Amino acid sequence: MSVEIDTRPLWLILSLKALRPAFFIALALLFWFLATMPTPEGLSIEGQRAIAVFAVCLILWVSNMVPLAITSLFAIVLVPLFGVLSKKDTYALFGNEAVFFILGAFMLAGAIMHSGLSNRIALNIMERFGDSPRKLLLSIFLLAAVLSFFMSEHAVAAMLFPIVFDISKGLNLRPGKSNYGKLLFFALAWGCVIGGVGTFLGGARVPLAIGILKETTGRTIEFLDYTVAVLPLVVIMLLVGYFLLTRFFPIDVEGVESAHQVLVKRLKGLGKMSYDEYAVGAVLGVTILGWIFLGKQAGLATVALVAVVVLFVLKLVRWKDIEEYVNWGIILMYGGAIILGTALDKSGAAAWMVNSALSGWATTPWTVFAVFSLLSIFLTEAMSNAAVIAILLPVSVGMADSLSMDPAIVTYSIAVPAGLAFMFPMSTPANAIAVSSHYISVKDMAKGGFIMCITAWVVFNLVAAFYWPLIGMGYTK
Amino acid sequence: MKKNYLNTPGALKIDLMLRGIRIDDPVVKAWACGSSGIDIMLPQNTPVNIPCSEEFTGSSPYIIKKKGSGYAITDGKGEVGVSLLERPAFYNKKTSTGVHFSNIGASHGSYTVITPSPRCDFFNRSIECKYCAGNFDIKGRDNTVYSVEEVIETVEAVLKEKSSGVIYFSIGFSDTDDGGIEFLKPYIKAVKKQFNCLVAVEALPPKENHWIEETYALGADSVLYNLEIFDKELFELICPGRAQLIGQKRYMEALAHAAKIFPNGTVASHLIVGLEPPGSTCQGIDFLTEMGVVPILPIYRPSKGRALRIEPLNTEIIIPVYKHLYGALKKKGISLNWVRDISMVTTPLEVRELVEGGGKTIAESFYNSKLGRKTAWGLSTLRRKLRVKDSKDEGH
Repeated sequence: MSVEIDTRPLWLILSLKALRPAFFIALALLFWFLATMPTPEGLSIEGQRAIAVFAVCLILWVSNMVPLAITSLFAIVLVPLFGVLSKKDTYALFGNEAVFFILGAFMLAGAIMHSGLSNRIALNIMERFGDSPRKLLLSIFLLAAVLSFFMSEHAVAAMLFPIVFDISKGLNLRPGKSNYGKLLFFALAWGCVIGGVGTFLGGARVPLAIGILKETTGRTIEFLDYTVAVLPLVVIMLLVGYFLLTRFFPIDVEGVESAHQVLVKRLKGLGKMSYDEYAVGAVLGVTILGWIFLGKQAGLATVALVAVVVLFVLKLVRWKDIEEYVNWGIILMYGGAIILGTALDKSGAAAWMVNSALSGWATTPWTVFAVFSLLSIFLTEAMSNAAVIAILLPVSVGMADSLSMDPAIVTYSIAVPAGLAFMFPMSTPANAIAVSSHYISVKDMAKGGFIMCITAWVVFNLVAAFYWPLIGMGYTK
Repeated sequence: MKKNYLNTPGALKIDLMLRGIRIDDPVVKAWACGSSGIDIMLPQNTPVNIPCSEEFTGSSPYIIKKKGSGYAITDGKGEVGVSLLERPAFYNKKTSTGVHFSNIGASHGSYTVITPSPRCDFFNRSIECKYCAGNFDIKGRDNTVYSVEEVIETVEAVLKEKSSGVIYFSIGFSDTDDGGIEFLKPYIKAVKKQFNCLVAVEALPPKENHWIEETYALGADSVLYNLEIFDKELFELICPGRAQLIGQKRYMEALAHAAKIFPNGTVASHLIVGLEPPGSTCQGIDFLTEMGVVPILPIYRPSKGRALRIEPLNTEIIIPVYKHLYGALKKKGISLNWVRDISMVTTPLEVRELVEGGGKTIAESFYNSKLGRKTAWGLSTLRRKLRVKDSKDEGH
């Protein structure tokens, strides 16, 4: 039992304890006020109630007073209860393709990690290419990024962390002091963050955004289209990241021989590649091809779920092995976010909010794109990337319509920056894992992360303005 | 010329504890039979346990005699009316396993001391405290361990009888890092789960402070790490086990940390009066009160067969020490309400009359009432609920 005693004055503890009930009472009053105040002109009563639910969820998502998934439950309960959508429609939205795609992606990633394939790939690459400090650093950075194309960036960070930690120990790097120690963990965290936006698989936020897009406009974004559109950003950010890191923290070790020994020892411990690893690798390869070539006809979720079924048919995994890798809270959260986004759209609330609040400044498509991407990239530093999407996307899609913008472009403007969290450990688990090593301080991360955020926003807007037209994408429809 | 203490219960208590009492009355003799002393209630609801069977009591000026329907204590020059404290009925009962409740629990006024195991490893290593062999009736080599169920039955009997409101767990030395708290844990948890009562724990200072935090989180409302002697040399001489295996420094550190964790006035430490010069005891009082710890001053009473033969101090010398204690506690704003109504020691509240005059205040009467006890329990529970951080608090 680990016990902690709060020795602050009792009046202070009592006041702080009272804050929580006071917060929820205030929230209930706010909801009541928004739901019952005279309906503004141009807004339906359902729209007004949808805005009230949205306000409650927005505050809860930002404040984190209850887990994100529980906030989604609020949305799921309040939307039918106040007649914004019917019960049947509300719960049917939970069966959205995006939710099942996320479920399938979690299971696939679980199978890859459980088989040991991801670990073997990581160790092999580092052992083969990491024979100098610069190369070892680069191989960790690129490996984290590339693996995050195929698995959740959180899972990649968790998988690579013990390896990088062992390397740091093997090199006798002093936590908090060694530049090379900082570099290795920054490479791990930022590699995951940058790579995580490269495909649908790096995190569940892009599928969520596409789920909302599809429910509200009927439009979608294909797997390959997304990657082709985002890849230049990923490549540029990897170059910029490496450049900035090595400038901020010049390499202060001369050789990495002892790290190499650590990797060799770990690799030996894995033994020869097993049948399961080959088979899981083959299933993953076929699945990616399926997403690229069959995604449009069959649907991304269908391809993912077929792959999961195949894994079970071939007895490559057991349910018990997979269960621990499936984040059911995230699935619940995304279901709720899709319901809320649809409720705002179908009730006309999103369009009304855009017209009344944002129409003044958002006069051109590129300003809309620039402002939403800026909001997204900074909000994601302080809150969950999924919450950023749930808050911004329904409103921005409404605005796109009024400016004849392509709603898919607006989806990019929010979904991609929402994954680029560089500044704080609470922004994304990859950063938190890196800081937990004690090689990097929060101050280090905030300083370098701020420059990365600004750079990412500028690069993203430049890519949208100059590269996307080359591949047939534009701000307007 | 000896002073007359009959009219000041606090001073009389000290004098009686030092000199003992003679018993002529056959009823009282029968009453006291087999006990370490006789429990009597002096005026102003002052309980006292008076030695009556030891050798030195034969020369005591005090004698208890029947007076009308009650009793009186006389010193030959005057007398004061007292009442005999009934021997708790649970002493005559047994647990379902056949153990006498009196083997497990002993009432001393508002406290009932529960000893789940009388074992003290200092005895097994022959480094026991020199005053211990008999003075506090410790059977250090006894390996008996009473079960949680037996202890719960005892506590239930105590609380049903309403003889005490505070359950006081006591444990001897065992060579563990936790000071004995791991051993007491199931007992404390069971008592807290089953009954609405306050719990005090007398243990040895643990090696690390987190055990103190755990003691509080478990449900202990008060903790005692008994230093016994403040003078370093005498401490090493008289308490070789404590000195060698724990050390005075660790006692001080543990007490200082406990005072930050537990409520004001609930962390205490014994300083035995008579085992060191009064000036040294006063220094100990100042040192402990400076940390927010309540010094409790039992009186050393030598008797036949003990390893330690020290000539006891007399009341005239001891009373200023108790007055010093009262002044030091008041000066530091340490609550006096927890350590009260104990028959084995003179409490700071009982000394107040000697310093300021006057009897019990309304607040003290409230604390002694049923409602007061319930309030104390409620506030103590609420404080724990607020202070102990839930380690299982889920992240978002």
